[in-house]
Parts: sequence; structure tokens; C-alpha cells
Amino acid sequence: MATFDPQFIWFGLVSGSLIALGALGLTLIFGILDFINIAYGEYMAFGAFVAFGLNTQANMPMVVAGIGGVLGAGVLAIALDKVVFEKFRNRSAIVLLVVSIGLSFILRNSIRIIWGSGTKRFDIPIEQAPTYFGISILPDQVAIIILSFGVLALTFVLLRKTDIGIAMRAASDDTDLAQIRGVNTERLVLYVWLVGGLIAGIAGVMLGIDSVLRPTMGFLTLIPIFAAVILGGIGDPVGAVVGGYAIGLLQELSVVVIPSEYKPLIGLLVLVVGLLTRPDGLFGEATR
Amino acid sequence: MMAYSQLLVTVLIIAIIYSLLAIGMNMHWGDTGLLNFAHAGFFAVGAYTSTVLTTPAATGLLGDRIVGLELPIVIGLVAATIVAALFGILIALPSLRLEGDYLAMVTLSAAEMIRLIITNEAWLTAGTQGIKDIPRPLAGAFPLSLGGFQMGYNLFYLGLTIAILIASYALFKRLSESPFGRVLHAIREDEDVPRALGKRTPVFKLKSFGLGAGIAGLAGALWAHFFFAINPTMFLPSLTFSVWAAVIIGGAGSYVGAIVGTSFIVGIRQLTRFLPNDIPLGSELPFLRLILIGAALIVVLYYRPQGLLGDKERIQAGQAMEGE
Repeated sequence: MATFDPQFIWFGLVSGSLIALGALGLTLIFGILDFINIAYGEYMAFGAFVAFGLNTQANMPMVVAGIGGVLGAGVLAIALDKVVFEKFRNRSAIVLLVVSIGLSFILRNSIRIIWGSGTKRFDIPIEQAPTYFGISILPDQVAIIILSFGVLALTFVLLRKTDIGIAMRAASDDTDLAQIRGVNTERLVLYVWLVGGLIAGIAGVMLGIDSVLRPTMGFLTLIPIFAAVILGGIGDPVGAVVGGYAIGLLQELSVVVIPSEYKPLIGLLVLVVGLLTRPDGLFGEATR
Repeated sequence: MMAYSQLLVTVLIIAIIYSLLAIGMNMHWGDTGLLNFAHAGFFAVGAYTSTVLTTPAATGLLGDRIVGLELPIVIGLVAATIVAALFGILIALPSLRLEGDYLAMVTLSAAEMIRLIITNEAWLTAGTQGIKDIPRPLAGAFPLSLGGFQMGYNLFYLGLTIAILIASYALFKRLSESPFGRVLHAIREDEDVPRALGKRTPVFKLKSFGLGAGIAGLAGALWAHFFFAINPTMFLPSLTFSVWAAVIIGGAGSYVGAIVGTSFIVGIRQLTRFLPNDIPLGSELPFLRLILIGAALIVVLYYRPQGLLGDKERIQAGQAMEGE
């Protein structure tokens, strides 16, 4: 346990940004395809490791490598849809969930084979954090927060202002109705995978910058992401983002009352309390 | 030659202990349609309960374990079953109203929390150091000479676990075919129907969860007492997923299928150990094995969604994972 320190709020914003991104991507995919993709954490890890490869093995600058990693995760999401998920399109949500478990096995262990199972770091300078108002703030962390705000804003512009985004929201609400009204849902599915994959890549690369890279990094982030998705109402993008920041802040602030080893417990607590009291999410917008 | 037969016995013991896990999972998913992803957690609870009850307290480099009761192993096995069953009920309680994937998320998180607690509460579990020198039941009596035939300890343990597997199989099979089991099947197909008939479905779901978790706990205790040592990294979610793969590949709803599926998974995991290390990617075998299991799971779901020995009733009810 620790006494309260404004530093925790800053940490909460950083991890909240990462969780919010992951939750947004997962909930978008859920909205259209109606299943929980357990392999989503592996998409994040894959993006991070592609960036790692470009950064340390091909000696590219971090920004270029990061973009490469993000694109890699987007391509991976589409490729896996074509090779695997497309074959299971008319199956139940449970089958898709179990298929995604199989995929997460395959992806995580492929990452181990390609890049090794140890802990890795991006080749970026380790700096002394400057202190403002008693809070030490790393430039990396500022970049994470700004970037995630940017991505979140872009996604919402996409969902609200573009034809594709409006079609996504329509299909998320009622796939059959959207189809009858002339929405090409198969093409839409591809866009959703692309957007979901790119977001996973961004979240993964930033997670790697914030701490270290491990093959299990994405999988271990799934629990707070699940909590954020459910807290926000499954399938509701705004709720997922709000839920993500709420979980991030709660996790970091929880060290005031519980030992810091049990930080991850907050995710489960919120998950259970949220499901019991507001099963449709904070805003009651859950798609089921 | 002796070494190979010893190895075979050990592999069989592993397969039997995993089969117990699959039997519990089949009660949850195959019979009741509950998506339980906390199985590794129940396995861990069983292993640690029995270990803490049967070993003395010990000091360690990273922290001292102050609890250790040195009770007889039988008490450990029984307590492991009961405590794991209670954990199952505890986890199921807040999630009973939840369906499908919500339950999956809560149970998966809960299993990770169990592992987190085991890792951090070193006074009880020795934390990451793990616990060593776990006693084996009747270890002093072996090797036993039976009229010229030397019976080694592993063979005895194999017999013990086979007996427990047969008893568990008979019990769960019987439960599944009893009126109790029929209510579980009805819950799986459409919970509103048994509810309309006056069955208190939450109680049935709790019982199903408790029974399946209990046998997973027993499996954990049997694991700990055979392999001498346990540590928190033995109980990762990938264990849960392997058991899932076994149940799906064997055929959900069939207890024979659960055992066949487990034999298949354990077979892949253990037999590939005999491949020479100097083949291409030889050093990556542990990871290739898991990739193979993941791929097998997807292929079975695509070509044979009911699994190798899928339950007829499930198929007729349209629940053979074909679609909605």
C-alpha cells in the first residue's frame, strides 16, 4: 500500500489510454461479428514484435518501425479473417470464440519461435523523467496519451462521418437490416478487421514502448480490456473508451488501498460488479 | 527398454490426470453448456490445498511459508476436492446470470486471480519459489516384491489413478444420465424450459460448477503428489485451453470423448518429445506442439464440429457447434 500521490493519476491516464484503445478495437469487432476474439491480445503482441523486428533487427527509427508494426497487425487481422474466420461465418458465437482460442495458441507460439520467448525492449533511449508539479512525466508517456487521443478521435470521426463508419454502426445494431438496406456486409467485415487490427497494432507498439515486449504481453492485457468492454457495454465504442480510462485510473489508484501486486484484481472486481449491477454497460448501449 | 516403459507409465499418469480435468470440463460445457475458463485455477487450488495440508512449513530464500500441517495424504486429497469445489461455486455465484462469453471472461479472469494470489501469498504457498518434497502416498512400501515380480512406485500410482479415473467416469456418466443430468442438458438447450417446469436452474448450475471444479481439484492434488514439486507457472491459462481443446476434439457431451480427446492432446505433447532435437526447428518443439494443438482445434471445429465422439443428443438438439 502507498499513500496517495498525483503520480498515480498520470500512470492511470497512460495505462487507461492503452486499455481504451484495446477495448475500442475489441468492441468494434464484436459489434459486427458478435464474438469475443480471444486472439485480440495476440494481434497486439504481433504488432509490437513486428515493430521490434524493424526497430532492432532492421535498425529502423522507432517511428518508422512503429508504423510498420501497426500495418503488420492490420494485415494479420485481414489475413486471419480470410484464412480462418471467413470459414466460420455462419457458426455460433461460441464456436468463433473457441476458434479464436486456437488462433491465439498459434499466434503466441509463432511469436515465440520467430522472436524468442524472452523479454525484449525497443531500441530507444532510456531517459530520466523530468518532473512537473511533482509528477514525473516521460516524453514516451506523453506521446502515448496524445497518440491514443488522436486514434480515438479519428475512429469516432470514421464511425460518425464516413459512409463506411455509418454502415458499421448500422450493421453493429442489426446486421440483417443493414444488409437489406444495401450495405455490403462482407466488405464491411473486412474494414472492421482492418480498423480493429490497426488499433491492436497501435496499442501493442505503445504497450511495448511503455514497458517491455513479451510474447504474452497482449494476452495478459486482455483482462483489463475485457473489464473495460463490459463496463462500457459490449459493442459500444464510446463506452469501451470511457471504461478503458476508468479501469486504468482505478488500477493505478488502487495501490492506495491494496498492495500493488494485486492491481490486476481491479479488472476482475469491476468486471463482476459491473456485470451484476449494469449488465448493459454504463450507458445501457450493449448490443445484447 | 526399462527406461521407455517407465516413461510410458509416467505419460499414462499425466493422461489420466488430464482426463479427470476433461471430465470436469465436460460436465460444465458438454452437459450444462457453461463456458468455464477457470479450470487451471481449480487444478491449482486442488494442488496447493493438498500440498499445504500434507507438507511441513518451510523457510525459503524469498520468504517463509508458515502454514504446513503434515496431515495424511488422504485428507489432502479429500480437502483438495472440497476446496476446489467451493472455489468453483464461489466463482459461479456472481456469474450465474451471465451467459456464454460473459461467463468466459469472468472465469478466465478469476483463474488468473487465483494464480496471482498463489504467486504473492508466500506465507501460504511459498510464492514463485514453489513447494518441493511433496510426499507420495505409501511411498515407503515400494518397490514391492510380488512373487518374483518387482512392482515399482510409478506402476502403483498408475493403478491408483486408473481406479480414480474409472470411479470418476462412472460417477459423472451416471450423474449425466440421471434426472439431475437431464435438467443440466435442458439448461444447456434452453434454460427457460426447465425454469418453466419449476426447476431452480441456478442451483443446478452451481452444482454442475462445483462438481466439475471438485474433480479438477482432485486432479491437481494427484498431480502434486506424483510430481513432488509445484509452482505457480504450472497453472497457466494455456492448461485450461488444452483441456478445452481435448473436450472439443473428443466430442463435447461424451465422457469417453473427453478421455479420447485428452489422450490425443497428451499424445501430441508427450510423443513429440521423442523426436531428435537436431531436426529443423527441433529446439522450438514445445512451441510447435502448442501450435499443432491450436490448429487441430480449428480443423476439428471446421470438419467435425461435434468432435470425434460427439454426443448424439447434443447433435439432435442442434447444439453440436454447427451454428445457431
